[in-house]
Amino acid sequence: MTNLSQNTPQMRLDFESLPTAAITLSAAQITQAVELSSKIKNSSQQWQIYIHALALCAFEEWLAERANSLTINRERCTTFQPVLAKAIAAVANLYVGKFKVCLISTGSLTDDQIYLPQAVVDLPEYIPHFYVWVEVLEEEDAALISGFLSYQQLREYQKKVNLQSTEDWNYQIPASWFENNADRLLLYLRCLEPETIALPSKNENTQILSTIQNDLLALLPQLQSPGTELWQVLTWEQGKVVLTHPELLNWIDNLQQQTHTSLVSDSLKDLLKLLTEPALNVGRWLWDELDELAEEFSWRLLPSLTPTAAMRSATEEFPAIINELQQRGLEIPPIARGAYQDFLLTAIPLRLYAVTWHLLAESEPNLWTLLLILGTASHTALPAHLKLRVSDQTGVLVERGINPQQGDSYLFTRVVGNWDEKFLVSVTLTDGVEVNLPPFTFSFRR
Amino acid sequence: MSGDTAVDGLVQILMGVASRYWQLVKIDGAGRRQVQEISPAKAFFIDVFAIADDIDCYVPDIKVQLQLLQLSRDASADRWLLAQRCLLCFISWQIEQVCLQLAANFGSVHGFSCADLLPYVLDDDGRLQPNGTYQSLSQKILQSFDPQQSNLTTWTTTRVKHDAALNQFLLECGVYMVSDWAILNDTRPQQLERIFRDFYALTPPEIQQAQQLLESYHAVYRTARLQQRSQRIGGKCSTPTTQQLQQIATLLQIKASLTLNSETVMTQLQKLATQLREYRIHVRGGALPTKSLDTITGDEYIDTTKALDNEDEQTEFLQLYRPQFLACLEQALAIVTQSRVNRLQQKKGEKAKKFLQALKLFHCQNLRMTEIADSMGLRAQDAVTRLLKLKEFRADVRQQLLLLLCDRVFDLAKNYSHPDRLTTLEQQIKLALDEQITQVIKEAENQSQTAKINTIENGLFSERLCRYLDSLNEEI
Repeated sequence: MTNLSQNTPQMRLDFESLPTAAITLSAAQITQAVELSSKIKNSSQQWQIYIHALALCAFEEWLAERANSLTINRERCTTFQPVLAKAIAAVANLYVGKFKVCLISTGSLTDDQIYLPQAVVDLPEYIPHFYVWVEVLEEEDAALISGFLSYQQLREYQKKVNLQSTEDWNYQIPASWFENNADRLLLYLRCLEPETIALPSKNENTQILSTIQNDLLALLPQLQSPGTELWQVLTWEQGKVVLTHPELLNWIDNLQQQTHTSLVSDSLKDLLKLLTEPALNVGRWLWDELDELAEEFSWRLLPSLTPTAAMRSATEEFPAIINELQQRGLEIPPIARGAYQDFLLTAIPLRLYAVTWHLLAESEPNLWTLLLILGTASHTALPAHLKLRVSDQTGVLVERGINPQQGDSYLFTRVVGNWDEKFLVSVTLTDGVEVNLPPFTFSFRR
Repeated sequence: MSGDTAVDGLVQILMGVASRYWQLVKIDGAGRRQVQEISPAKAFFIDVFAIADDIDCYVPDIKVQLQLLQLSRDASADRWLLAQRCLLCFISWQIEQVCLQLAANFGSVHGFSCADLLPYVLDDDGRLQPNGTYQSLSQKILQSFDPQQSNLTTWTTTRVKHDAALNQFLLECGVYMVSDWAILNDTRPQQLERIFRDFYALTPPEIQQAQQLLESYHAVYRTARLQQRSQRIGGKCSTPTTQQLQQIATLLQIKASLTLNSETVMTQLQKLATQLREYRIHVRGGALPTKSLDTITGDEYIDTTKALDNEDEQTEFLQLYRPQFLACLEQALAIVTQSRVNRLQQKKGEKAKKFLQALKLFHCQNLRMTEIADSMGLRAQDAVTRLLKLKEFRADVRQQLLLLLCDRVFDLAKNYSHPDRLTTLEQQIKLALDEQITQVIKEAENQSQTAKINTIENGLFSERLCRYLDSLNEEI
């Protein structure tokens, strides 16, 4: 023979055996993963989500084959929430029975180091009972459950080794930390009690968010270019807060897709206020009550809107406005309740009326509405450059200005939200001169 | 003399048997391997290289090939056809060698022989004049061969290893090759940085350039791959097109102000992939991954040894729980078997039935995997292994047994609150069940053709499983 002997070792290394335990991915699963990834614009994140979706399919397939008594719940799984899927390079918040599981995927390039996103190691919101390492052989339409590591074990290793995170918010850990007997993972998932592996509890970080909100106001707009990653702009301390507020991640996503219609700084400022400031519950108005916050800001409850009550109204202006709005076709049910607050904007005395009611739509039973009417306390025309802005967690909803020709004496707008949604109302005169009121929320709870 | 042996060795490496330039390895109509002597090629070769008509005659391969290539390009009409024929003959031997190697390395475990592979890659009929527009693999290899870049032996090996049809067949047998493009797809830029710094000790500018190349490749190639996937085109990653290479070059121009033509981009990408592949081999300790064969993994042996040290504990365990243990075992076997059957019924074919049949043949009739494959008309032993997944089956039974025991034996439950205790408990059950069978499975999986299985009768696991299988009133 000639130089064939030289080829032999190389040949052995070029080819590999697909283990019996390999999970074959079906065409339908691959299509599903491609579809999921196609919602993402950035190409490297798109690939990442595609691979994660394949890992998830393989894991589900494996569980279905081996342990059909275990139920998988992907409802809270980050992979199906585009903004979280982009920010966290793992399949986090997957539930198997009572256990929280996080899938870490690697590709065909064998390595002795595995990357764990810092978010799934340090943030209680995403910390799992088990990290499961899934090797995705994309080219072969196959995947392997290669190992697992419990949070407890990770902590023990961490105590022995001073594990430092990388600049891009990852921990590099030796692949040998993972136990490679996947059957044992099944044993734990089937038989162990979740309490055995204690997970840290969530930190309340609203306080931190309020202290760093000015930093975020300056930094987050720098993430505008779609390729820019959080770690390139923020410190981990800031990143922690952003990663635990999907609303902020959403805002960044909108920024990168350039779907913000209003000023970037306004919407971010409003969002930060919504997240940090206590809200007043207008739901209690329907019980004829003001909550403490409303009292603190001197809101005054208006009498109910029934015609007889309107006759007894001390505030004559309000029924007139309501009457006019009803004539313009706005339906305001008799159960609606309103309140008002007087405030000053650069010495101009303004009055904001807020009216709320519960919307009884059959399809979505938990809707409420907030009708806002801005006027002056002295019933005179509003100043020319005055604007009324309403935002929710997703951004600026409406911005109303004065029609200079008509010299309106009122600005009004109406927004609708779910019970868990808050609205922030701002009144602006010129740039920088603005009044924010505490956010409005709606709950029947007292 | 020792000197002579060394020279002989060198001759062996540099010289090749002359007859391979006029003898063609081919497949006959019945799919059998055949060696065909092509007389005009022989006469031509002997004439050109002035060698003796001797079957054992050696010629310097590289020199001969270069001259033949030259002739096949410059010489007059019939001479170039003959020169080309000689090279095609040589290529056919090399193709066969690759198949022999593949069969030697993987064939016995994955159930294929060299003869199974040859039809995919040996399609040269030995004619002097090409037959119509059809191009055999050998012709494709010869046409794409560049003596500046490689030698014909290496080039042929490379091309055969990458042959799509061959790879598809191998994948069906459970053997696969990762392409350069899949390796690049699967590499993170941060990972590249670490590997190039720690393993290759490259300088920061070199690393940065490699990262920029990889990122540009990702942006173009992965996006295209996803688009193909969305059109349901998948499988092996294809070589980047010239257009893709140009797009990568454009990105590199923007990112790194590097001006490269598409050929250079291609070479650089292949170099990158080779470096990563070598790292990968290093990580695997330069050997085949041990876990790729479904042998019982090492740590289980350790666990077993550990548990064996504590034999008293095991006996105690059995004594305490024996009545419940037996009842639960039967139940566990039924649950796991049924769930496997249900799952297989969702797939096409008669997999569920075959599973039960194979389970019975293995456990109740003590047949070896190869014998089961033969009697059930399955391709090879590994198809049976994949169908039965015995290791997984047994693990599932053990764990199901634990769950059932926990419900029945209240004082066992406290063991469930600690991973280590739970693991020990499972090991005790494993020992109680294993008896001789671990050895049997090991033998079957190692494909030991000679080991005779004779100690299976007393296996508790098999005994109860067979009893259950018999109770199934189905035609297995």
